[in-house]
Amino acid sequence: MTTVLSGGADPLISLTGVSKRFPNGTLALDNVSMTVPKGQLLSLIGLSGSGKSTLMRHLNGLHKPTAGTVQVFGVEVSSASNKQLRSVRRNVGFVFQQFGLVGRATCLENVLSGALGRLRGPRYGVWSYPRTLRREAFDHLERVGLAPQAYQRADTLSGGQMQRVAIARTLMQQPRLLLADEPVASLDPESSAQVLELLLKVATEDKMTVIVTLHQVELALGWAHRIVGLRDGRVVLDQDARGLSQTDVMEVYRRVDRESELLATPNMSAAAPTTERQRA
Amino acid sequence: MTAAHVEPLARAAGNRLPRAPRKWQSKALLAVFVAYVVGVVWSWTYIDMTLLTLFGGFTELWNLVVDMVPPNVDNMRVVLKATVETIWMALIGTTACVVLSIPLAFMAARNTTPNPVVFAVARAIITLTRALPTLVLAAVLTLPLGIGPLPGLLALAIHSIGMVGKLFTEAVENTEAMSREAVTSTGAGKWQTVLATLVPQVTPSFIGTALYRLDINLRESAVLGFVGAGGVGFVVQQHLRSLDYQRAIAAVGVIFVVITLIEVVSTRLRASIIGDHLSSPTKKTPRTMARERRDHRLLVDAVTTRRLTPPWTYERLVRASAGVIYLVLIVVAFATIDIPYLSALGLGDEVIDSFGRLFPPDFTTAGPELWQGIRETVAIGFIATTLGLVISVPLGILSARNIVVNRFVYGTTRLFMLALRGLPELIVAVLFVAAMGLGPVPGTLALTVGTATFMAKLIGDALEEVSPEPREAVFATGASRAQEFVTSVIPQALPNLVSQTLYMLDVNLRSSTVLGIIGGGGIGFLLLSALRVLQEPTVGAIVIVIFVIVYSIELIGTFVRWLVE
Ligand SMILES: Nc1ncnc2c1ncn2[C@@H]1O[C@H](COP(=O)(O)OP(=O)(O)O)[C@@H](O)[C@H]1O
Ligand SMILES: [Mg+2]
Repeated sequence: MTTVLSGGADPLISLTGVSKRFPNGTLALDNVSMTVPKGQLLSLIGLSGSGKSTLMRHLNGLHKPTAGTVQVFGVEVSSASNKQLRSVRRNVGFVFQQFGLVGRATCLENVLSGALGRLRGPRYGVWSYPRTLRREAFDHLERVGLAPQAYQRADTLSGGQMQRVAIARTLMQQPRLLLADEPVASLDPESSAQVLELLLKVATEDKMTVIVTLHQVELALGWAHRIVGLRDGRVVLDQDARGLSQTDVMEVYRRVDRESELLATPNMSAAAPTTERQRA
Repeated sequence: MTAAHVEPLARAAGNRLPRAPRKWQSKALLAVFVAYVVGVVWSWTYIDMTLLTLFGGFTELWNLVVDMVPPNVDNMRVVLKATVETIWMALIGTTACVVLSIPLAFMAARNTTPNPVVFAVARAIITLTRALPTLVLAAVLTLPLGIGPLPGLLALAIHSIGMVGKLFTEAVENTEAMSREAVTSTGAGKWQTVLATLVPQVTPSFIGTALYRLDINLRESAVLGFVGAGGVGFVVQQHLRSLDYQRAIAAVGVIFVVITLIEVVSTRLRASIIGDHLSSPTKKTPRTMARERRDHRLLVDAVTTRRLTPPWTYERLVRASAGVIYLVLIVVAFATIDIPYLSALGLGDEVIDSFGRLFPPDFTTAGPELWQGIRETVAIGFIATTLGLVISVPLGILSARNIVVNRFVYGTTRLFMLALRGLPELIVAVLFVAAMGLGPVPGTLALTVGTATFMAKLIGDALEEVSPEPREAVFATGASRAQEFVTSVIPQALPNLVSQTLYMLDVNLRSSTVLGIIGGGGIGFLLLSALRVLQEPTVGAIVIVIFVIVYSIELIGTFVRWLVE
């Protein structure tokens, strides 16, 4: 259990005392510390506004912490140079709730933009990418089942198809770490299940380390190695998924009136730090 | 059924009530209205235009029309050559403006600007370039650059930055940020990301704006000859000076045809570029259906054979050919336009020298005349707007398809307005001056005609667009046609009418600063005389005055628009 939680000698990700206060005063992360080992499948849960997206954005440098440090692949993301940051991002796939596709561009172009990190200089249109990359992009589209739509504009697709194109774009990066922020929250239940299955399948096939925020608790429990719960920017749950029941997890979603109680009972909030200290 | 129509409307209206403007805002709005009325009354007494002069004007115009018939076309070669030059000037000027505006827009857009200093400078350039009318700029540029198309196209390029740069900036700011964040997350660099995500989003609106500006610049380009800055305007002016009205009207006819043709082409192009697909799904002719089948086949082929280049669908073909045609045209334009490129390269110093001589500006030599010029300029703007508005209301109603049942009235009114709008207003003005002699009255009338036709088109269109439900509802209660019109159509169209009137006032005040250049009254006349005798410091003073007038109008306009919204 402990090996799954904190991993071997060099964790892929390690956060120490990370706090984030936005310019408008919101404290979105409050002293978050955790490490994620290579190959772990981690599910992040918590109410909307609890800081899940903010946490993920810190992992590829879209946000900088107000306090604490964020290390990814051994690079100090919070103080990395532009060049270092780009090289970290190249290895981190990010799948967004809103897909982030360029609607006016074709699917193939959208997938190709996932290769920009590997290329030098600006590119515009399919022509400007090397043929080998175009072939590769086709392969990825095939893998997500959308090769027939390669030359179709992205905004002509359904939501589920769009997210699959976004996944293909991520595959183009050949990432070591995959971050998926509510990847199916804007899809209907049916395509939601399809897309999620695809995402988790390619991630495990390609041996990626995965952090995903999910609202489907049973799904998270069934698939993830580890569950981390956030509330008001603090880690209130950090446990191996196997030992966890659905009711335990639902605690995280309880409203604030339970908060004092939660803080008083150490079995939830102190779980991870304890295991770590025990190991050390 | 009618009750069902009225109910949601009443509720919609009720919902809008709580959003009533705050107290001081409605007071300010009232003040603006009072100021407008005072401005009109004062202007009327200042210009001293009685209804008699108005009708006298019509007889003089009629006499001119009689003198112009039949048009004399034996000078066509010269006219056509000058017209081609006009087109090349507009094309090169617009292209130069677009090339300059693209980097400016990315510097001036909040979401792409590299830093606050660049942001402020880019914004300032965009605002300031707009504040000198093209004709003024062209006239001043002829000092160092001499007579010919070069000062003209430079003036077009510089002045257009104001509008094109502003619209480009808005386009960049209106892009969605999600794709940008997503591509940044893949490790792409800043410019790679901009090119991959923002550029595809802004390209259609950039092209649309450029085409729209090309239309405007073509009209402007047609009158640049009045100050010797190239194009067909010079030919018109020559013929009018020598009282050769039959040749003059032939040249004006050519201008009209060319402007209308290019407007039709560019409007269609714009619709097809901005619209998401070239063929609208509503009208499926056999041809479009065959086209769609072919496209579909191409797309299927491309993906089954895994072609690594996008297939040549109809849409791509059209776009690519439009691009090639444009490239050919711009090359021909550069190659054939009468610009001494080699010596023009050395003219940079001369331009700087010559602008240096405008300073320090001399406000005293032309002192009292300057003041009078300013007042006349403002007065012309107010009268033309108001008079134009008054005339446009009946004209607009006559041209609305859903108000006037008589198709003949509808058709002729629209045609009449189309003809008048086809001509740049300074061409109309120069004809009016030819008919009635120098002074503010012909200038005012020309702007009035421009305003009336423009507003009438808007009113006509607005009336046609007014939603039919409330009219049906009132109709059903047995109201007469006129009652029905007053109670339901007017209130719906009013807010838009007010803001368009403000817009016209803005346009007319700008135009009236240059009317004097062709003898139509206002401060432009002083500019031309000072240029003729090379009183450069006085030119400097007049340019500054015009700049201040136009810039203040813009500030006031922005404020009032903000009040209304
Ligand atoms: N860019 C921002 N500026 C200010 N506040 C923000 C910003 N992004 C997120 N927040 C705030 O930070 C908190 C956490 O947000 P977020 O990480 O998006 O939560 P989650 O993804 O769990 O729903 C919320 O209160 C949110 O309003
Ligand atoms: Mg979120």
